[in-house]
This record gives sequence, C-alpha cells and structure tokens, in this order.
Amino acid sequence: MSHHIEFAGLKKVFGTGPDAVQAFGPVDLSIAEGEFISLLGPSGCGKSTLMMMTSGLLEATEGTVTIGGSQVKGPQTDIGVMFQDNTLVPWRTVRGNVELQLEMRGKSLKEFSDKIDNLLASVHLDDFADRHPYELSGGMQQRAAFCQAMVHDPKTMLLDEPLGKLDAMTRERIRSDLQRLWMQERATVIFVTHSIEEAVQLSTKVAVITPRPGTIERIIEIDLPFPRDFDVKNSPEFTAHVREIQEIFRGYGVI
Amino acid sequence: MESFDKKPMFAAMKLRLQNSWMFVAFFIGFFLVWEYSVIFFDIPLYILTPPSLIVEKGAADLDRLLYYTYVTGTEVVLGYGVAVILALPLGLAIAFSSLLKRTIYPFIVCIEMVPKIAFAPLFISWLGFGLLPKVIIVFLVCFFPIVLNAILAFSSLSEELTLFCRSTGAGVWRTFFKVRLPAALPQCFVGFKYAAINATVGAAIAEFIGSDKGLGFYIQIVTGNMRPDLAFAGIFFLTLLGLSLFGIVTLAERLLIPWHISVRRT
Ligand SMILES: Nc1ncnc2c1ncn2[C@@H]1O[C@H](COP(=O)(O)OP(=O)(O)OP(=O)(O)O)[C@@H](O)[C@H]1O
Ligand SMILES: [Mg+2]
Repeated sequence: MSHHIEFAGLKKVFGTGPDAVQAFGPVDLSIAEGEFISLLGPSGCGKSTLMMMTSGLLEATEGTVTIGGSQVKGPQTDIGVMFQDNTLVPWRTVRGNVELQLEMRGKSLKEFSDKIDNLLASVHLDDFADRHPYELSGGMQQRAAFCQAMVHDPKTMLLDEPLGKLDAMTRERIRSDLQRLWMQERATVIFVTHSIEEAVQLSTKVAVITPRPGTIERIIEIDLPFPRDFDVKNSPEFTAHVREIQEIFRGYGVI
Repeated sequence: MESFDKKPMFAAMKLRLQNSWMFVAFFIGFFLVWEYSVIFFDIPLYILTPPSLIVEKGAADLDRLLYYTYVTGTEVVLGYGVAVILALPLGLAIAFSSLLKRTIYPFIVCIEMVPKIAFAPLFISWLGFGLLPKVIIVFLVCFFPIVLNAILAFSSLSEELTLFCRSTGAGVWRTFFKVRLPAALPQCFVGFKYAAINATVGAAIAEFIGSDKGLGFYIQIVTGNMRPDLAFAGIFFLTLLGLSLFGIVTLAERLLIPWHISVRRT
C-alpha cells in the first residue's frame, strides 16, 4: 500500500461564533511516499493542529486528509506520532516506555527486543534504558519519546518538534541519526521544526507556513544529495535555501 | 512493577535521624516538662497525671485496653475496607459516565458538605449499641474523601497521554490497565490517606455517643471516673490504631507507586 498523504481544502476552526479561532487552512497539499517534509512556520500557525488532523486525533472543520488512498476518519494506528509534549509515563523506565507503545498495540516484545536496543543506542540512551523519566534531563526525555514514537516501524511518521528541547550539540547529532534512520526506512515523514537550517538539512521538501491561520506560503524542493553532512551544509545551494526561507520570515516580520 | 533500589533506605533513615535529633529532643523535653510540672505545680492527679503514672496504670489495665483496641480496630478496619471497596468503583464509574457525573456526582458533593459525624446519634438509635452502627459511621467518614479523589484521579489523565492512547488504537481495557489506572493511583492515595485519618476519629466519636465497649467507650468511662491517667492510656492506644492504619496505607503507597514524587527518596 502506498503511503502518500493528501490534504484537500483542509481547515480547522476552534470554537464557534464570535469566539471562533481559525487555527489552520484551508490547505491543499500532496506528500509523496518516502518524502521527508518539514513544516516551518511561526508559533501558533497551526502546525500541531495539522499533525493532529493528519493522525485522525482531531476532526477537521472542512476538507479531508487521505493517507494511502483512504480518507482519515478516526485515529490512524499504523503511523507513528511524536507529540509536542512528551508522552512518557512516570511509572515505567525508558525501555518500559518504549515497550508501552508495543504493548498498547498488542505486539510481541520479544520480536522487537533488538529493535528497542538499536533505537535506544542510536539516540545514546542505552545506558539509561532502566532509568525512570524523572532521572532524565528534558532532552533525554525527548529522545526517549522519539524512540517510543517510532518503535513499531510506522511507514508514516509525524514528528512535532522532536528536537525542540535538545541542546545545539545533541541536536546536531540526533539530526544525523534521524537522517540515517530515514534513509534506511524511507518512511514518509512530516516534521515540525522552528529551525530553518534543520529543515533544509533533513527534508526533501520544506513547506513554509504563514502566520495563523496557517496556509502554505511556499513549497521549497531541497534537491541536495543525502546524507547531508558538513560539506553539503557548507555548499552555496544549502545556504541559498536557508536565505530564501529567511527572506519569507522577514516578510512576516517574525525575524 | 519495576524494582526500586532499597539499599539507601538505611542510610536515609540514619540521615533522617541526624536531621531530626532536635525534634526528638523536643519530644522528650515535652514529656519531661509535663512530668515535672505536674509535680512542681502540685496538680491534683484527677485533673492531670504525669506520663510515668500513665504508663504504670495503663500497663496495669492492659488486658482491657488491648481488648478495646481490638474492638475499635475491627470497626475501623471494616468501615474503611468497605469504603474503599465501594468508593473506588463508584468513583471510576462517575469519572467515565457523563450520566452519573450529572446525577450522582452533584449529590455526593452536596452530602460531602454535611458533617457525617452528625448522623452518628441517628444510626445508633436505629441500629443499637453494636458493631454495625460504628462500622457505618466509619464508612461514612471514609467513603467521601475516597470517592471524590477517585473521581478526580480517573478524570484527569493528561491531554498528551489521552492522545497517545488513542493513537495506538488500544481498547478500553488495555488503556485502562496500562495507562489510566497507574496514572490515577497517586490521587487515589490522597483519598486513602485522608480517609485513614478520619477512620479512627469516626470510630471514637461513634463510641462516645453510644457503646458498651471500645476505646471511645473506655476513654469516656474512665474520664467520668476521674481517671485521666487511664484516659491518656486509651488515647495512646487510639493513636496507635490510627497510626497503624495510616502506616499500612503509606506502605501500600510505597509499594504501588514508588515512582511518584510524593514517595520518591532523593
Ligand atoms: N484546543 C484548542 N482550542 C482552541 N484553540 C486552539 C486549540 N488548540 C490550538 N488552538 C489555537 O490554534 C492555533 C494553532 O495552534 P497550534 O498548536 O497548532 O500551533 P503551532 O503551530 O503548533 O504552534 P507552536 O509552534 O507554538 O507549537 C493557536 O492559535 C491556538 O490558539
Ligand atoms: Mg505546536
């Protein structure tokens, strides 16, 4: 089954009457299978709202979301969602939290045991597998939540600021880990970030969103070779993309 | 449940002792002042007795005290146990049913405003001097804190976790046992502990109002006989009873939610 995603006339309004807040849309967008698309937009423009509608956790006011040809009408269980606030439970260890995703889905823990080890190692949490969330820093919790969100091998992933709480150095490292994982699996990824450079580095496409109510200002194809290591980031093409996006944001008056 | 490190417990106890020596000294000082001011101010023994005499006379009446502790303890344990068994499922049901939330819930909140102990004379006049009215009164003073905290506990799962559960497609039962129940336990224990404190108070007052045995009965009778020494001995056993129940609940809390901030040793 193909995992392309389609948004058609998608719009969200919270509340009714004079208090109604138009949070997002209307937006038409088509995301091909295996694409890594970043949503880049000012705070409050509706990025998280779009993620919620895509995963079927929030009903659209107008328009439709279609994943792999079928319209989203309720929670989508074959995708991986990393929420903006972490979903670790305090009574389980890091490993237990990753396992929770599998247990909730009735999957065998034994089958995924190696996968969990690999995932935790890839975000450098292997030494903390048996610790509880309160023993972890904010960034470590976020890395654990990342493992939790993708342990079940989803073909579509929605990542809402997964690297938001990380320090610049860890962030850089996890970025390349994320890129490597994506290159292996070629999942369809929708990625929310506030970092222009991060969006350009990781994505095949960057969708720049206008301030609320968010609509798509421009889709920028990032046609650079993967993996995008240090050399690629220093290339004039890379810098040109970053500059282009900065110009758009300057137009909004947000930077 | 994951295992928690128990080793630092002794070290922690030692540290706690080191930190609390002032409190211990004050405690001892309090009893010394009590002891010697009774003698120094020449307070008649039928008004106040020194602690040493309380111990001595209490020990002489130990059989009766132990038997009455057993009687009151039975009332407390039965009333508390029934309250937990009934209040927890009811709280759960109210949290998940909008019908119950609009009918029984406001009713419970209203009843909660009524001082339950005021019903004690009625229950005793209806049901006599026996065990049942006391169990009912203990039940009443325990039931409401447990049910109200359980409702709060089961209806306050965080937004993110609710979404997480839905995103996994897990069924109601799996969601309940894997996420909702463990997430609700800390708030439930707030109710359990509050009720544990209420329980002995409820039993003692019920016995004051009408009974022929139990620690409340004992305290009332010996006070009437101008024997404050024995009254204090009765109070001591009543305190012991309350502390034991509270201790058991606290222990259960430590075992069930060792991860929670209220229990964690840092
Ligand atoms: N449950 C809700 N009820 C009412 N309004 C909401 C609700 N959730 C979001 N909004 C509104 O919708 C708008 C978009 O919110 P959203 O969380 O999608 O923004 P965002 O782009 O993810 O922002 P950020 O980058 O700060 O996370 C905001 O203006 C917010 O006020
Ligand atoms: Mg957001």
